Amino acid sequence: MSTNVLLPGFREAPLDEDFEEFYINMGPQHPSTHGALRLVLRLDGEKIIEVVPHLGYIHRGMEKQAEKLNYIQYIMMSDRQDYLTAIQNNLGVCLALEKGTKIGVPERAEYIRVILAELSRIASHLVFYACFGGDLGGQTVLLYGFKEREMIHDIFEEVTGSRLTTNFFRPGGSNKDIPDTFVPRVKALLKHLESALSDYDRLLTKNIAAMDRSVGVGVLSKEDAIAYGCSGPVLRASGVSYDVRKNDPYSIYASLDFKVPVFYNGDCYDRYLIRFEEMYESIKIIKQCIDKIPSGPYRSKEKPIFKLPNGSFYAATETAKGLYGTYVVSTGGNSPYRIHTRSPSFGNLAALNTMAKGQRLSDLVTILATIDPVIPEIDR
Amino acid sequence: MGIMPFIPKILDPVPGGKTIVNMVDYVVNWARANSLWPLTYGTSCCAIEMMSSSMARYDIARFGSEVFRDSPRQADLFIIAGTITKRMAPAVQMLWEQIPGPKYSIAMGACTISGGPFRYDNYAVVRGAEQVIPVDVFIPGCPPRPEALFHGLLKLREKIMKESSRNPWKEGALSESEERNRYKEAAAAWAELEKIKDEEMAIAREQFKSNPPENYVPYKAIRVQKETFPDIPLKENLQVGKSTESLFEIAKKYSPEIQIHTENNEILHLSVSKEQYFSLVESLKKDSEMNLDYLIDVTAVDYENHFELVAQLMSITLGHKVFIHVDLLKENVPEETKDNALLASVSSLVPLYPAAEFKEREVFEMFGIHFESHPDLRHLFLDEDFKGFPLRKDFKHPHIIPKPV
Amino acid sequence: MILPSVTHPIGDFVRENVPNILGYLPEFIQPYIPSAEIATFININICMVAIAIIGIAPVPVLIYMERKVCAHIQCRLGPMRLGPHGVLQLVADIAKLLFKEVYAPIGADKFLFYLAPIFVLTAPFLNLCVIPFDKNLQVADLSVAIPFILAMNGFGILSTLLGGWASNNKYSLISSLRSGAQIISYEISFAMILLLVVMLAGSASLGEITASQSGHFWDWWIFKAPGLGILAFLMFLVSSTAELNRAPFDIAEAEQELTGGFHTEYNGMAFAMFYLAEYINLFTTSCIATVCFLGGYHAPTIGILAIDNILNYVPGIVWFLGKAFFVVWIYMMFRWTFVRPRVDQLMALEWKFLLPANLLLLILGVVFLAFGWILP
Repeated sequence: MSTNVLLPGFREAPLDEDFEEFYINMGPQHPSTHGALRLVLRLDGEKIIEVVPHLGYIHRGMEKQAEKLNYIQYIMMSDRQDYLTAIQNNLGVCLALEKGTKIGVPERAEYIRVILAELSRIASHLVFYACFGGDLGGQTVLLYGFKEREMIHDIFEEVTGSRLTTNFFRPGGSNKDIPDTFVPRVKALLKHLESALSDYDRLLTKNIAAMDRSVGVGVLSKEDAIAYGCSGPVLRASGVSYDVRKNDPYSIYASLDFKVPVFYNGDCYDRYLIRFEEMYESIKIIKQCIDKIPSGPYRSKEKPIFKLPNGSFYAATETAKGLYGTYVVSTGGNSPYRIHTRSPSFGNLAALNTMAKGQRLSDLVTILATIDPVIPEIDR
Repeated sequence: MGIMPFIPKILDPVPGGKTIVNMVDYVVNWARANSLWPLTYGTSCCAIEMMSSSMARYDIARFGSEVFRDSPRQADLFIIAGTITKRMAPAVQMLWEQIPGPKYSIAMGACTISGGPFRYDNYAVVRGAEQVIPVDVFIPGCPPRPEALFHGLLKLREKIMKESSRNPWKEGALSESEERNRYKEAAAAWAELEKIKDEEMAIAREQFKSNPPENYVPYKAIRVQKETFPDIPLKENLQVGKSTESLFEIAKKYSPEIQIHTENNEILHLSVSKEQYFSLVESLKKDSEMNLDYLIDVTAVDYENHFELVAQLMSITLGHKVFIHVDLLKENVPEETKDNALLASVSSLVPLYPAAEFKEREVFEMFGIHFESHPDLRHLFLDEDFKGFPLRKDFKHPHIIPKPV
Repeated sequence: MILPSVTHPIGDFVRENVPNILGYLPEFIQPYIPSAEIATFININICMVAIAIIGIAPVPVLIYMERKVCAHIQCRLGPMRLGPHGVLQLVADIAKLLFKEVYAPIGADKFLFYLAPIFVLTAPFLNLCVIPFDKNLQVADLSVAIPFILAMNGFGILSTLLGGWASNNKYSLISSLRSGAQIISYEISFAMILLLVVMLAGSASLGEITASQSGHFWDWWIFKAPGLGILAFLMFLVSSTAELNRAPFDIAEAEQELTGGFHTEYNGMAFAMFYLAEYINLFTTSCIATVCFLGGYHAPTIGILAIDNILNYVPGIVWFLGKAFFVVWIYMMFRWTFVRPRVDQLMALEWKFLLPANLLLLILGVVFLAFGWILP
């Protein structure tokens, strides 16, 4: 058929005239695009020739609006970027602001930060686990993953006052002190989590159907992973051992003992395994910290008006999705002259076409689930 | 739908028919109210809370809304979970039109009520779902808890139970004038009551002042002791990879004119001219000691008469970071076309880093900087026909409402 | 084909009494009255009503059961608010769907679009006609019941193909092509397992297959051919799950990939028909499994007279429904436990594993029969 025309964004040469290719629109309302993502697929039967993501369906102009907000108000904006790891985004913004103002953080606040950040990493990976199972067709897995997540959110609610959008950290510490019940609750949670995670491990990891769907699917080579700017579990599943917590440590991560799990096949199964390993590592980190929370102030001295000196400041953190960078440019005013977020999902999604090329339509769903994108973080 | 509007027309004139109509109404409303199948639709934070509400802890299935339909044609309830942007609004309208009647919608979260945190100074967000489709129930919260969603669901149930086949369901029933007026009347009556209350209170206050009771103790403010926090200096981060001085020495080999942009211990900030930008990045990437193989980000800053392009590079094996700043002077264009004109041009990094493709598209649409030899320079986040470049300082958009001070 | 063999006691009663009643009419019109035809006509109507009732009546129970089984697997409660433990939930759902707007999308082939949901209900209802629910409680005891069931199942695919094609939606089209390939493939192994049962029982009539399993519970075909029966039953479960288009083999619906597949564009009552047909099909297939493997309406007697007498006192239809619902429960547990395979993997499972295994099973069946390894 000679009507094989290319839509904008597609680059592969049209197929021979014998083949009949067609386009399918996936999203912005589709059960497995994780929110407002729209993909246009070019298919040959069920085989994917090319995928083009159309972004911006949840572009909220945060960076423009931030120019009118003051610095502390921008922390609230970072909650709404990656709402699954809101507290880690808070941390990323605060680190950049601390670098600008040279405010230090007391020891107690550092421990609070690390524990909450790791809890949020577990919560985010549990959502990944749930969505991965759900996208493969196992509805039950979807519900199991959310069960333990609710317990973590109970702790968040007690500490920060909110389940999802925490808005908790401030430059120089945190907004409030942790309640007395925090330590016993976290300990109880960890005890429960360990048994629950081993159950979930048994449910899906060695499941033949799940393995068939994910082993060797959506392979991303090491070179491609670096070239496309992937980060976090997607990068580490392709055999690159880069974790900001280890390679460019912030807070007290340098003094903690934890492994950075690395897998080498770069397929969906490895991306699944790596998140499971990371949950165990996070539990290990929290266990090291929870007994050692020192007493003392939970934040350092507050300035009446928060201002950054002239210049540009950058801080990187490792959220559950990957490298979260905040780049602040200040001209000395109350509000940022320019604030830019480097969101991990954006880089990871850029590699989607490379992973999905030549795979089946069903595999695309698996690949998207293992990239684990959060669309508001990409669109901002 | 179907026979429903004819039932009262036929039965109402018949003696005793009214009771039958009422009974039919009750049964139909009961079925509709208790079997609301929501559409799987969510854009941002509220979507996660909507998902939580269908999970084991909260379990929306108890109320009969278990069956989340992925196809709008089988849904009854449109839970608008999350911000609606101007780009998404047509999709929302289309989804709403595809739901067969009778259909209901719940606006979940602050963004769908008024735009929420994105109401002011924002060019992209629709201020409330009611601008796009009729809404039955609003649920405040940012995001609302699952319990709040259930409360909204129960409120919607009450609303459905009041419907009648004499005044059959039709699309947009709430936002039409009759209902609107009822709310306005209610609001006016409430304001009247408030006024009366204020007057009565004023009289009571007067009386209280002139003739205070015997046991009256005037209020005295207690000063809450303010917590004091220590002043702690910032801990220096551990040095990662090579020092910035040695990195600068390496970079200087390739182009002697480069300068340090900002003094920093962790990151080397280089200032490069526009012509040398691409060749410098290329040689730094190939250099075995520098080995800048990872592109963190490409972004830009708008100043009065120039843009500053920032390419954030990193060596993933060695760990050091190099930020390359390029000053791009704005071209002189007539004042009236300035808002929609590309004002600068620079070579693209896509041949070196495929990751730059999306990021340079973002810079292109946000600042109006053209990238030479970029394979696919289209809008990324904004509509194709969007006018203007939002992150420029002089950006104006008719949608923006400045925040009242 | 079906009509002359209406054999249930009510049928005999009608046949006997219609001429008697007609005898009261004036004598001069007696020769002109076709009493046999009238009796048959009444019989047909009774059968139609009975099949409609037995087809539709289990559906609310099944859907309620599915929701509760699913909820309890997932640590939830499921419907709770309407009636005690949410038993009225389904009533509300169906009543609501009845009063929903129905429309076809622009560009759809309207005739075929509305024909598909009518077709989808035909196959399971026709299958119910040949199933013996109790001794003599059967519409038609066909001597070719098993080929009849296979033919009707093949007819059922038509609705999926029609619905997917007529919807003018690419997702629906992909789905209908998928389901066409899937159901045609799995029909082979489905047929072969039934063939094994036919071979062992020596008849293709469901009445005789049931009769061949009379006696104690080890006389059921699942136990009667040691080892072979269990294997055949498990393979029947797998291939019939695929045949039913149920999760985990629901690649045609595949919510996460195709947003509902062939019924994406259906709404209101048309969608309700698909929804109902899924569960009637489930019930029919469970009935076939019960008849072929679990001894039909026979009580699970254990050889101790005192207990057997009590068990035999329970009507056969209760045993039959009990067994059928047990099979349904197995299907449900299966559905909510596993993840969905990919299209090519599902095809590979059929052509590379199930089909050779089935052929082996047939050969084993011959060996069992030749050496007399069947339990007496």
